[in-house]
Amino acid sequence: MSKLENTLISINSLARPATDRTDAVAMLAVTLLYLVAVLSVPLYAPQRIIWLAVYPVVQSEVSGIGFLRVFLRSLWVLPLILLIGVFNPVLDTQTAFMVGGVAVSRGWVSFISIVLRGLLAMQAVLLLAMSAGFYDMCGALRRFGCPRVLVTQLQFTYRYMAVITEEALWMDRARKARGFGRRNYPLRMWGRMVGQLLVRSYERAARVHRAMLARGFDGTMPLSRRTRMTRRSWCFIAAWTSVVLLLRFADISSLFIK
Amino acid sequence: MHMADALVSAPVAVSAGVVAAALIVVASKKVARIKRDDILPLMGVMGAFVFAAQMINFSIPGTGSSGHIIGGVLLAALLGPWAAFITIASVLIIQCLIFADGGLMALGCNLINMGAMSCLVAWPLVYRPIAGKTFRKGRVFLASVAACVVGLELGALLVTGETELSGITSLPPSEFLLFMLPIHLAIGLCEGVATGAVLCFVGSYKPDMLYEADHVAAAGKSGKMTRRTKTVIGVFAALALVMAVSFTWIASSDPDGLEWSISRLTGSTELAPAVTPATAIMPDYDSTFAGVLGGLIVVALLWGFCSILFRKAQSRKNAEKL
Repeated sequence: MSKLENTLISINSLARPATDRTDAVAMLAVTLLYLVAVLSVPLYAPQRIIWLAVYPVVQSEVSGIGFLRVFLRSLWVLPLILLIGVFNPVLDTQTAFMVGGVAVSRGWVSFISIVLRGLLAMQAVLLLAMSAGFYDMCGALRRFGCPRVLVTQLQFTYRYMAVITEEALWMDRARKARGFGRRNYPLRMWGRMVGQLLVRSYERAARVHRAMLARGFDGTMPLSRRTRMTRRSWCFIAAWTSVVLLLRFADISSLFIK
Repeated sequence: MHMADALVSAPVAVSAGVVAAALIVVASKKVARIKRDDILPLMGVMGAFVFAAQMINFSIPGTGSSGHIIGGVLLAALLGPWAAFITIASVLIIQCLIFADGGLMALGCNLINMGAMSCLVAWPLVYRPIAGKTFRKGRVFLASVAACVVGLELGALLVTGETELSGITSLPPSEFLLFMLPIHLAIGLCEGVATGAVLCFVGSYKPDMLYEADHVAAAGKSGKMTRRTKTVIGVFAALALVMAVSFTWIASSDPDGLEWSISRLTGSTELAPAVTPATAIMPDYDSTFAGVLGGLIVVALLWGFCSILFRKAQSRKNAEKL
């Protein structure tokens, strides 16, 4: 399946929330707190980061998404992390501790720490995207004080991403049908093709604008009503805040140490 | 160049987030003042276009690899700097939330590195003076290449600074820069050539789409580079050099900001003193190894427990519905 087709599937799959049980404002608040907690753990203490995995594991199962799905998607972030972290074991060779006679360097400890941070942070963001849904998340951003222009822009971009990607897919298919198996484009052809897509997008924007004006568009898009805070949202925030703060500040690893 | 959450510390992420938020507020106010009533749908569709165009690769001659457009300078040339910044911000937010490309906490860093550097620095200071007010293919192409290279190199410089200030990598700043700058020079050249190709097509086919279309009408003026333009480019190059030297000097491999503050307060980088209960499960192992192993076991057990518990509840609900 082509990159464009995969993109279309991903765009459409996140339009609506995977579950009705969690609301977007509460999820966004907890995710931000969780990310600050994960990123504030010292780099040479991976034994303290690992406990923070409780949030993505429990929340993904509670919301019915499944941790395995979230974990597999979070692996996308690994190449970038490995690219930056791979130098640590090479450069920082000072011994951190011994395991069965084998010396483990500080570089490897920080490398493990970077990988854990990356995976957990990514899992939290994926969980937010999957459980909140895009339109509810826009409502949550507005409630957090995000400027109206940006929120409207996000909604527009998301709405037309599928349309423009579909148009690009048609052009790409037409090109491939005449391309005798050639996968990429020479720059001159690419420039004309993307330029053509740009002009078509521009003309479509003008048509979209006229259609919106005809339907009473006043410069802002309506937001989802599902982003109002309820007692359940407050309970959700309070519960996860307590758990995340406990996991961040209590040294639970000490239970395993002499 | 998308930075992941793992590469920034909390203080750096929050500081960059505050700066990016301030830029978004300013950009929103500037966009709200634009007297084009179709600006919002246009920005939305252009954001979607950049997103779709990133999926279409062009081949890089002689390397066997391919590249795609990033879009900061292209958007600025079509929409103007502030509208382009908001548009690129929306693309970055959606990329972060849908494709897990770049972290949520690192979003502030990504907005500054990729959005602000291209749209608010490279476009007005490099693209605009070189491209001039008259549409000429050669100059637009040259301006695109120069602006994309400068935008990406500044972004790479900031990525290095942010990662070093976060204390994440053991690579010394100078080596990190030597690793980042040449890669981004190559990426910038490809991005510039691609942006130039698209802008030249648009300029010839539908020139009113360009941001300064009103100036295009004033064709016939000299297309030569003015003295002012040359001064701007010279000042900018000197500024870039000063920034490079300053970042190399500032960045260090000291402990991160939070650790530093804790050590100032308590005399140690740990918040809680180590507790040594008599019931330790792995007494002979080092605390780090035992902690990681213990954590993994507990998390795995928790996952098993949660998945059994909630799947049963889910299947019971489904059965009730049927």
